[in-house]
Amino acid sequence: MGKNKKNSKAASNGHHPHNGSRNNSAVLKKAANGNGRLATAVPGRQIEQSSTGSPNRNLRTYEIPDHRLEYPTFTVRQQTEKDKQGHEHVRYEVTGDLDAPVPPIRDSKYLNKQQAIEIYRYMLLNRKMEIALENLYKQGKVVGGVYFGLGQEACSCASSYALDKDDWFAPMIRNQGSLLVRGFRAADTMMQYMAKADSPTKGRDGTSHFGDIEKRNMVSPISMLGDLIPVMSGVALGARLQGRSIAVMTYIGDGGQSTGVTYEGINFAAVQNLGLVLFVESNLWAYSTPSEMQYRCKDLAERAIGYGIPGVIVDGTDACQVYDAAHEAVERAHGGEGPTLIEAKMMRMKGHAIHDAAGYVPKSMFDFWKKRDPLARFENYVVKDKKWLTPKENAALIAEVEEVIEAEREIAVNSPMPTPESAEGGVYCDEGCHDIKPKYGVPKVKKGTASYKETEAAVHLK
Amino acid sequence: MQLTYLEAIRQGIWEEMEHDPTVFCLGEDIGIYGGAFKVTDGFIDRFGPERVIDTPIAESAIVGAAFGASLTGMRPVAEFQFMDFIGCAFNQISNMVAKTHYLWGAPAPLVLRGPSGGYVHGGPFHSQNPEMWFVHNPGLKVICPATPYDAKGLIKAAIRDNNPCIFFEHKYLYRRIKEEVPTDDYVVPIGKARIAREGKDLSIITYAAMVHTALEAADILAKEGIDLEIVDLRTVSPLDREAIAQTVKKTNKVIILHEHSRTGGLAGEIAAIINEEAFDDLDGPIVRIAGLDSAIPFSPPQEHHYLPKVEDVVRESRRLKAY
Repeated sequence: MGKNKKNSKAASNGHHPHNGSRNNSAVLKKAANGNGRLATAVPGRQIEQSSTGSPNRNLRTYEIPDHRLEYPTFTVRQQTEKDKQGHEHVRYEVTGDLDAPVPPIRDSKYLNKQQAIEIYRYMLLNRKMEIALENLYKQGKVVGGVYFGLGQEACSCASSYALDKDDWFAPMIRNQGSLLVRGFRAADTMMQYMAKADSPTKGRDGTSHFGDIEKRNMVSPISMLGDLIPVMSGVALGARLQGRSIAVMTYIGDGGQSTGVTYEGINFAAVQNLGLVLFVESNLWAYSTPSEMQYRCKDLAERAIGYGIPGVIVDGTDACQVYDAAHEAVERAHGGEGPTLIEAKMMRMKGHAIHDAAGYVPKSMFDFWKKRDPLARFENYVVKDKKWLTPKENAALIAEVEEVIEAEREIAVNSPMPTPESAEGGVYCDEGCHDIKPKYGVPKVKKGTASYKETEAAVHLK
Repeated sequence: MQLTYLEAIRQGIWEEMEHDPTVFCLGEDIGIYGGAFKVTDGFIDRFGPERVIDTPIAESAIVGAAFGASLTGMRPVAEFQFMDFIGCAFNQISNMVAKTHYLWGAPAPLVLRGPSGGYVHGGPFHSQNPEMWFVHNPGLKVICPATPYDAKGLIKAAIRDNNPCIFFEHKYLYRRIKEEVPTDDYVVPIGKARIAREGKDLSIITYAAMVHTALEAADILAKEGIDLEIVDLRTVSPLDREAIAQTVKKTNKVIILHEHSRTGGLAGEIAAIINEEAFDDLDGPIVRIAGLDSAIPFSPPQEHHYLPKVEDVVRESRRLKAY
């Protein structure tokens, strides 16, 4: 680790791009060995020229497109401070440029006015739903804690908005906005938090831990991080065996990506050339641990190079950038071109959960990111920059969303608690509860001419 | 048709792949190489690389991918090269796969299969019997066949089952036992024990390779006039409580025999079931014969000492008969 300075444990991984990586072209530059061909059952390795014009053949360079319009540069490290009594305390200290002006929203290459307004509405719903959840918690109606996606609404809503109906997704705890985009009601999430009988899991689990394999194509998250990545790859594999190239989107944080299964899952998707869209939310804090203590590379998008897949960086507080990157990744998946890693940068604007006041986060970081509130930025873009909504229309939209959330809150609050006995049953799928069929049609299988015969496998030792 | 235990499993999976296009295999070295023990030998030529997938060495990814595919209505059969490595995928199995149906109502029709068990000097990482890790996970079915007939019937039943099934193949039995197996389509029901040997004096409740150990002991003891009944559980989760109670009611004395370590082993659970279902029928203490409470050692004399043996069954049976 770095300079081994006294009292300084974390090494800087900065949050700025490399030299020469400010490539904002519409087409994702393929990382070295990026597979640009259609999916085949046995993906072989295509050796491509990986050098990007370097005169030295022994020096390989790779490109990571970075669509941001600013490159925040600051570093968090552990620092020992003395209090008035002279006692020493270890605190996080941030250094860097925290006064930079807020950049404009980058115009989308794909979104039209209507779509942008729709994403804006989902972000509003996301924000207002979480405010309602916070109030329900304060009223003692929530069982356990509440998790928030404050500051990450553009990530949740604009990414999942890029999916088609037949695509699949699996949210993480902060992607409650994705659930709304994919057609779940706010009441579903609220009832989960209140452990109600009508919640999607009928009280058996809380938060965004639910799924729907029939209509909304959602895999339920579990609390352990990274496990959804191979699972979503498997969903894409299943669809491919049924003749379909679908996109499967899931999320991971700068903390969650430290798990081993994250590597296994991305690598599996890469080797099998499956349509995984991995949305990495670098929100700077994993519970109380800063990203400087999670990884050493500059940007998590660089990990894509090691997997042999495209990686791209976006500003996670800019809904247009998020949508464009997600859209391009989804298009690649539909074209059978394999996985994409999108790294979005922003900050988690509350504690890990409602019990956590996030006192470990230096205040100047909150101030910096508060100016980059994704909802305020997008509202400003839609109303003031683009004039797609008049202030009056905007006020009406906000009122409408508030009404929806209030109605959803009513539904959720009025749902009964489950009966104690409803804890029983359903462990197995044994009583005709499901008729299992291939979702996209019976696989068309080709069989070789080899018929069954005993081989070396049949050798008997006795 | 005379089939070895290994060939019976191979034939069972082959037949399911022939008649159901949603069945496919994935695992390490299962394609052109045909698997470390050759269970999928020849599959890639018949069913193609789309349905016989060689994976990276990544057990969590193998289970995760199998689970994901099962959510789209496929019926994946994932191989572990050795069941010892299933620990690498434990979180995926325990927290993702096993809880799915109970928590959010999605069926996961997948099979995780591979070789387990000792007696082949495989050492601590190639000889384990990790079935108890999964017996304690509601939502999984755990299957441990002892004969070629059952191995074929149970692998076919597991592939057709709508639940995640973990199928432990005893590697000592792979090529050492052979028997007549019908050529027509059949399945063996999951969760049902069978009587491997009828007897009246005392019962041995066991499964997998230990069934054969018990049968050998029974031949020795028969000459002394001790008549063993041997119950082959075939499935260790869910357990066939009725069959366990039935045999205790018949013989009134019971030995529980398993290969894995004694503490926290299956015998403890079965003893509790006997306590609940047939306490008044007992005429003697419930006896456990099991592996030692240690890792399974490598060197043949040590491995021999660790594992249950025919002489252990003979000795304990004589003692219990005399009780």
